[in-house]
Amino acid sequence: MRIAEHPILEFKRENPHTFAFEGVEVEAFEGESLAAALWAKGVRGLRRVSWGVLGPFCMIGYCSGCLVEVDGRRTRACLEPSRPGLRVGRIGDYVPRLAAEQPGKAEELEVDVMVVGSGPAGLSAAIVSGESGLDVHVFERHFRPGGQLVKQTHKFFGSGELFGGLRGFQIAERLVSRAREVGVRIHTRAPVLGYFKEGFFAVSEGERLLLVKPRAVVVSTGAVERLLPFPGNYLPGVMGAGAAQTLMNEYGVKPGERAVVVGAGNVGLIVSYQLLQAGVRVLAVVEVMPEIGGWLVHAAKIRRLGVPILTRHTVVRAEGGEQLERVVVAAVDERMEPVPGTEKVFDADLLLLSVGLTPESRLLAQMGARMVWSPELGGYVPYRSEYMETSIPGVYVAGDASGIEEATTAILTGRVAGYSAAVRLLGPRRDLLEKREEALRLLREARRTPFSARVVRGLERVIVRVAQ
Amino acid sequence: MRAEVVVVGGGITGVAVAYFLAERGFERVVVFERSYLGSGSTFKCAGGIRASFTSREHIVLMKRSIELWGELSRRLGIKYARSGYLWLASREEDLERLKRYSSIHNQFGVSTRFVEPGEVEEMAPALDTSRLVGALYDPLAGKASPFDAVHKLYLASREMGVEYRFEEVGKILVEGGAARGVASSGGITEAESVVVAAGVWSRQLLEPLGVSLPVEPEPHHAALTEEYGRLFDPLIIDLESGAYAVQTFHGHVLMGVEIPEQPSWEPGERLAFLSKVVRVWSKWLPWLPSANILRYWVGHYEVTPDHHPVLGPVGSIENLFVATGFSGHGFMMGPVVGEELASWVASGAPRTEEAAHLTLRRFEEGRLIKELAVIG
Ligand SMILES: Cc1cc2nc3c(=O)[nH]c(=O)nc-3n(C[C@H](O)[C@H](O)[C@H](O)COP(=O)(O)OP(=O)(O)OC[C@H]3O[C@@H](n4cnc5c(N)ncnc54)[C@H](O)[C@@H]3O)c2cc1C
Repeated sequence: MRIAEHPILEFKRENPHTFAFEGVEVEAFEGESLAAALWAKGVRGLRRVSWGVLGPFCMIGYCSGCLVEVDGRRTRACLEPSRPGLRVGRIGDYVPRLAAEQPGKAEELEVDVMVVGSGPAGLSAAIVSGESGLDVHVFERHFRPGGQLVKQTHKFFGSGELFGGLRGFQIAERLVSRAREVGVRIHTRAPVLGYFKEGFFAVSEGERLLLVKPRAVVVSTGAVERLLPFPGNYLPGVMGAGAAQTLMNEYGVKPGERAVVVGAGNVGLIVSYQLLQAGVRVLAVVEVMPEIGGWLVHAAKIRRLGVPILTRHTVVRAEGGEQLERVVVAAVDERMEPVPGTEKVFDADLLLLSVGLTPESRLLAQMGARMVWSPELGGYVPYRSEYMETSIPGVYVAGDASGIEEATTAILTGRVAGYSAAVRLLGPRRDLLEKREEALRLLREARRTPFSARVVRGLERVIVRVAQ
Repeated sequence: MRAEVVVVGGGITGVAVAYFLAERGFERVVVFERSYLGSGSTFKCAGGIRASFTSREHIVLMKRSIELWGELSRRLGIKYARSGYLWLASREEDLERLKRYSSIHNQFGVSTRFVEPGEVEEMAPALDTSRLVGALYDPLAGKASPFDAVHKLYLASREMGVEYRFEEVGKILVEGGAARGVASSGGITEAESVVVAAGVWSRQLLEPLGVSLPVEPEPHHAALTEEYGRLFDPLIIDLESGAYAVQTFHGHVLMGVEIPEQPSWEPGERLAFLSKVVRVWSKWLPWLPSANILRYWVGHYEVTPDHHPVLGPVGSIENLFVATGFSGHGFMMGPVVGEELASWVASGAPRTEEAAHLTLRRFEEGRLIKELAVIG
């Protein structure tokens, strides 16, 4: 179902058209992903495997719950923009087919700065190195640039310099247009496949393979939502909180009718509120800890709207046949184990997991950057200098890929990385060094909230100080 | 705690040695792994298993290993299938080579046989046979899942009392000409015997003891496509290029081929490999250029001068054993190596005479073993 009315969002639904899914016509609009259009149509289980029916979990290209066949090729429905007349089907017992077209030749591309990922961190890095006069190329595997900002609807705090007062998707629009203004080339639908020892990155763009030889690299690949292990966690209707935001905030598609949310951190609380705005009933928010993790103002807001927050509770099971029908939660003891006899059953068709993110730092690991496990930063992250340079000279990291934080710090670490790349290629120019110091100052300021204490502790172990 | 046996390395060799030691009744076996189990070569391998070699040592040991794979699969539920190997010749000269191999196999009781195109199509429906000149089939061969094998051997050995410690062994302790334990990041562990099953890295552990292992870290690459329905049952080998491909239990096609490489401790991925492996396999799997490649990685073969492993006592130091140098075949050998090493540790002698030919001594004495069919 598509959302007809929304208190703060307006959905431009342009160029209506249809594509076929398993022979049935599906309505879609320009700029919609196949996954969103299918969800709007009420299609839930996109994959059938021997042991069950699976649905999308992440909606941003990590899980394979939305893998479908499009015109004879397998692809993730969340990364595929809808076009009129596409033939889409379940993959089922897929047999390979002969390639219709000859693969294109590989082309070499030499660039000053290569940025991987077009979220707030990547775009900010691209903008500042573009402003310095460098030839900057951003590679993004999604068909729309902006990363996860495009689904953020709340207003950001802070000064104008940091887009205070704007909503996330508005910030994304500004970053994209600023990047284009300063000559940054943004390649969408262009996944970076990896670094090859021959000395280039391979990028798949359309039918061609690009061999990119950069003089400096910024890896700003973001993060992945975590899944919890419990029976039925694969059922269509069980998804990441971010996936539901993609559906409702980016595409205006209602993710479900009756929801249970796991995790009462800021994301869980904000997404619960956004569900209510989208007309979804929130049956409960479940939190395993004794305390609510997020800001109490957010918690108060949803409580006022009648949503119970069950602390010391966890999800034990999801049930359903073709899709999620029931969620079973239970109280936990001191060892976080479910207590038998305390189960509560909710008739829900949506179960959102908001239990944290893991940095997507695999490209750096594959390149051989020295990595370290940091619980405070959410997983494996690269060691870096305070200027965001990794153990590989000329390779920088920014945003959630360097440790889980939020959009403001992503923008700032992106700026630091972008200036560092510029300093490397243009020399230690005074203006660049000053602007980098200013970004670092803002970063320190942004990390003064109580929520940053853990991150700051984590950073102490992963930042390697280097002499200038 | 004083251990009876310390095993260094948690690849297929380490977990299999631990399993067979426990089965023999050893009660205090400790395995040290510095990363996660399988993190060396084991989880990077193709899982192919065969006895169709061209040396007596390989054939005899692999035949026993295949017996053990069957038993382990029944007992522990390891994913294993006797789905065969199929060598594909697209040129007359390759067919001639296959005939030579086959006669050696048959001589040693491995009944490989030539199959007609019709039979090839039955066992490998996704194969394009238009360029097939001949095909040799080994029905005794097969495949196992490296992940499942390591996992189940780990669970079963732990059940029998084996202890696993995720620590790096920095040093093997020797006193009075005999091994007496190891020093790891967690401290010192004394032991009556030490088995070094640390893959290519065994060399670094033995070097300070004056034991030089002739094992080179040779980079080998593999790539994995998306999952498909049934394409081909046997592991297939293109004789012209030496490339192999196997359909995993999940349905992915895992394939490898050699590219020019120097021994290296830190190998990297090369686009040249991907281009070559897809080009080579397109001859038999013409749809391959349109497949998605999900993963690509590079790992090591532990290569010795005669492409046979180094097994058993190191000789110069008492109670110190080694098992490595598998030259691309260490996964399939895991079970038999486990059994042989357990026998060596327990009784001072291997179970099979052929295993005794494979000690380190052969390099000092210049009695290298000849192998004609090494596959990429
Ligand atoms: C691409 C590829 C395909 C292959 N295909 C096949 C195949 O089809 N069939 C087949 O039989 N073989 C195959 N092989 C070969 C096979 O993978 C290896 O021979 C086998 O896995 C070796 O196992 P291992 O346990 O001896 O060594 P490894 O798996 O390398 O294990 C050694 C372990 O020791 C640990 N270690 C090292 N040093 C220390 C230390 N100081 N302290 C603690 N731990 C330490 C390492 O972390 C590692 O986990 C293939 C190899 C590759 C690379």
